[in-house]
Amino acid sequence: MARQINENKLSVQNLSVSFRTTQGYVRAVRDISFDLTAGETLAIVGESGSGKSVTSRAIMGILEKNAVINSGKIIYENEDILTIREEDFHKLRGNKIGMIFQDPLSSLNPIMRIGKQVTEGMIVNGKHLKNKIKALSHEQRREYLNLKEDLLTLKEDFKAQKETLKKEDQKDKISALQSSLDAKVKVLKPKIAEAKAAYIAAKADAKKSVGAEWQAEKAKANEKIAAVKARLASASADDKKALKDEIEHLKEQLRRVKRVTQKEADERAIQVMAEVGIPEPVKRLKQYPFQFSGGMRQRIVIAIALTANPDLLICDEPTTALDVTIQAQILELINKLKRERGLTVIFITHDLGVVANMADRVGVMYAGKIVEIGKSEEIFYNPKHPYTWALLSSMPDLSSKERLSAIPGTPPNMLFPPKGDAFADRNNFAMKIDFEKEPPFFKVSDTHYAATWLLHEDAPKVEMPAIIQERINAMKERTAAASDAQKKNEVNS
Amino acid sequence: MAAQQETPILSVRNLRQHFTSGLGKNKMVVKAVDDVSFDIYKGEVFGLVGESGCGKTTTGRSIIKLYEPTDGEVYFMGERISAGTQSIKEAIKAKKAEASQAIAELKNELKQVLSDAEEGSKELLKAQYQEKIQAIELERNAVVEDLKRDIPDRKADTNNENKDLMKKMQMIFQDPVASLNPRMTVKEIIAEGLRIAGVRDEKEILQRVNDFLKTVGLLPEHASRYPHEFSGGQRQRIGIARALVVNPEFIIADEPISALDVSIQAQVINLLNDLRQEFGLTIMFIAHDLSVVKYFSDRIGVMYYGKLVELADKDELFRNPLHPYTKSLLSAVPLPDPLYEKGRTRIKYNPLIHDYSEELPELHEIRPGHFIYANSKEIEQYKSELK
Repeated sequence: MARQINENKLSVQNLSVSFRTTQGYVRAVRDISFDLTAGETLAIVGESGSGKSVTSRAIMGILEKNAVINSGKIIYENEDILTIREEDFHKLRGNKIGMIFQDPLSSLNPIMRIGKQVTEGMIVNGKHLKNKIKALSHEQRREYLNLKEDLLTLKEDFKAQKETLKKEDQKDKISALQSSLDAKVKVLKPKIAEAKAAYIAAKADAKKSVGAEWQAEKAKANEKIAAVKARLASASADDKKALKDEIEHLKEQLRRVKRVTQKEADERAIQVMAEVGIPEPVKRLKQYPFQFSGGMRQRIVIAIALTANPDLLICDEPTTALDVTIQAQILELINKLKRERGLTVIFITHDLGVVANMADRVGVMYAGKIVEIGKSEEIFYNPKHPYTWALLSSMPDLSSKERLSAIPGTPPNMLFPPKGDAFADRNNFAMKIDFEKEPPFFKVSDTHYAATWLLHEDAPKVEMPAIIQERINAMKERTAAASDAQKKNEVNS
Repeated sequence: MAAQQETPILSVRNLRQHFTSGLGKNKMVVKAVDDVSFDIYKGEVFGLVGESGCGKTTTGRSIIKLYEPTDGEVYFMGERISAGTQSIKEAIKAKKAEASQAIAELKNELKQVLSDAEEGSKELLKAQYQEKIQAIELERNAVVEDLKRDIPDRKADTNNENKDLMKKMQMIFQDPVASLNPRMTVKEIIAEGLRIAGVRDEKEILQRVNDFLKTVGLLPEHASRYPHEFSGGQRQRIGIARALVVNPEFIIADEPISALDVSIQAQVINLLNDLRQEFGLTIMFIAHDLSVVKYFSDRIGVMYYGKLVELADKDELFRNPLHPYTKSLLSAVPLPDPLYEKGRTRIKYNPLIHDYSEELPELHEIRPGHFIYANSKEIEQYKSELK
């Protein structure tokens, strides 16, 4: 794999997200950090309610209205996307960061033809001339808006300080505060006016230059059309049709300079739908979601995500609603697209088999925290955190016969996150310190970290449950046997 | 297996369940279940797997009489509980067509013979042929009568609400949210079956409800709550308690864990396993997760588009999968083993590889207990694979 070392595509640092509810704040994500290098697949596993989807939604910037980001940064291509403006986010969302949602039935509009749903994004984002004007005046606009926001924050700060001063009965200080504010505002206001003027001027300039460009294009095209039209007058009946088609083609060409036309979008949609393995895309374009099977619907959702050519793809449980064979097909499709387009993928799931299939690295989440993160071989062959053990042993594999060790109890109520290790209540290996203090990350290897006190040097030696050890041994035997067979084959051939 | 010598608790014979939609030229027949036969023996868990839309759930629902079968018979504890009539109707139609064709042929023959015959013998010939035609008609009527005689019987069996027998068969549904009435308390939900079965004593009902809540790992005080107050795993437990409260012997579990979270899945499987031992239950387990089916079932049937394509003991099925669809299904199961997963190649199933132009396939027993849907040519090929 041609992976660029030290080149982080995405870096999440100390992210915490809460949801405001009537009972209080639900701490959905608590202080998680991970890096993603270009071209790699990170799988995030955990139970429902562990904060997997909230993390992905935070990266996409599509959290619910009652969500509060308490702290942290999400750095995408050297920019913290938590602080950028919604309008700037439009350029990232979909175009750079694509997302595949969990339930293909509810993420498609049932009363809208598939074609429209696939092309919608292209057409909305496809006003070339408008986009150009925006891009040309972008710097000035940003300057202006930033200054405006500065003024607003100044005023808000002043208000807050005034309130506190009033409470503390220090009314004499208010006037001083007021005057300092006035002074600052005085400096800012002309700056804002200046920036606004600059912005308007830049916009007008941009409009002019883009308009001129457009006029030039138009004139060129019209000239060509006129030439064809001239030939049309003297052409024979047979040639007439071809010439008329040519005129139509030229007109379409001109339209495409201005915006993404429906025809162009349809062509692209058909191409992408063929790429994700939908047979007869031309016919399918005119159908409704209910005419598609579950697997085909999920392919449509993937096609929609791919139309804008993202380089980071977030897959939020894309196969949970599908059965085994269809799941295998979708996973193969995602793997293929990843190879061909060099995508970076965040794969969210609770199926460890799927994780083993897809992931380069795995992060295990519990109660809003990443409890173990490492390369997928490290997580599956050398798991360290009791929760990873519990997850691995609670699922039967094809050879298990003994009683399943279900994880007792339910995940903690995140309105009141537990004080120590969140998993301590359900953990058979919990020690006293687990209930008192949150474990930090202990290093297992350069790429493998786990947050459990069991790894502390003072902790008693605890072996992982026998069932997992047996399974790992069986896996090792299986791979050894397979590689032996492969070697034999090589020798024979 | 020892269970095999016993008489089956449930026998399904040539079960067909067709759904029609549209009228006239738009009429469409969906063959959701098409000619499926199997037996389930006492005390075993019979797994039914296949991709979504292959008719697993419909099979279960036809067995428990949520649908009226189009054709075929279902026997439960030795009694026929439902039977379809389509094959009889088809047989009658075929017989009638055959007879009328024979008659038409005779009439044609008569015409020819008459044109060649001399004047005097014509009457005689006519009488002769009339006799022949009458004989055919009589035979036809007798056969049709004979066939028809079975229809009321079958209808009666299908319509018979034998509550004492049918309460021995219960179902656990897939979606624990949709299958519990949100406006009934847990007690009402669980007691409903008891009331229908004829229990009137309120004290006894309360006692039974509390007992079974405890059995499935809930508390008696949960009885007065409503379904929305419970988590997914707890709701599925309520569904299980509802099925168990009437003391069934046979349970159809229709994807009981598909809608549950990972850690809860193991809890519910363990619970079902315990209950199975405690009450000696026979379970038909419908699922699409092969690892779980392998873990939980004794025998496994594989369905593909309404047909049962392979049926065998679970170890036999996983060791010697014969039908190409079974192979493809097994090769699609992802295992939590990254190195193995990197090397795993999925076998694709192409239904066109079967050449059934000469001989139609049937369910054959290729080895004791191992059934496969194939024609004799394929059987030869599979047999050589087995060796």
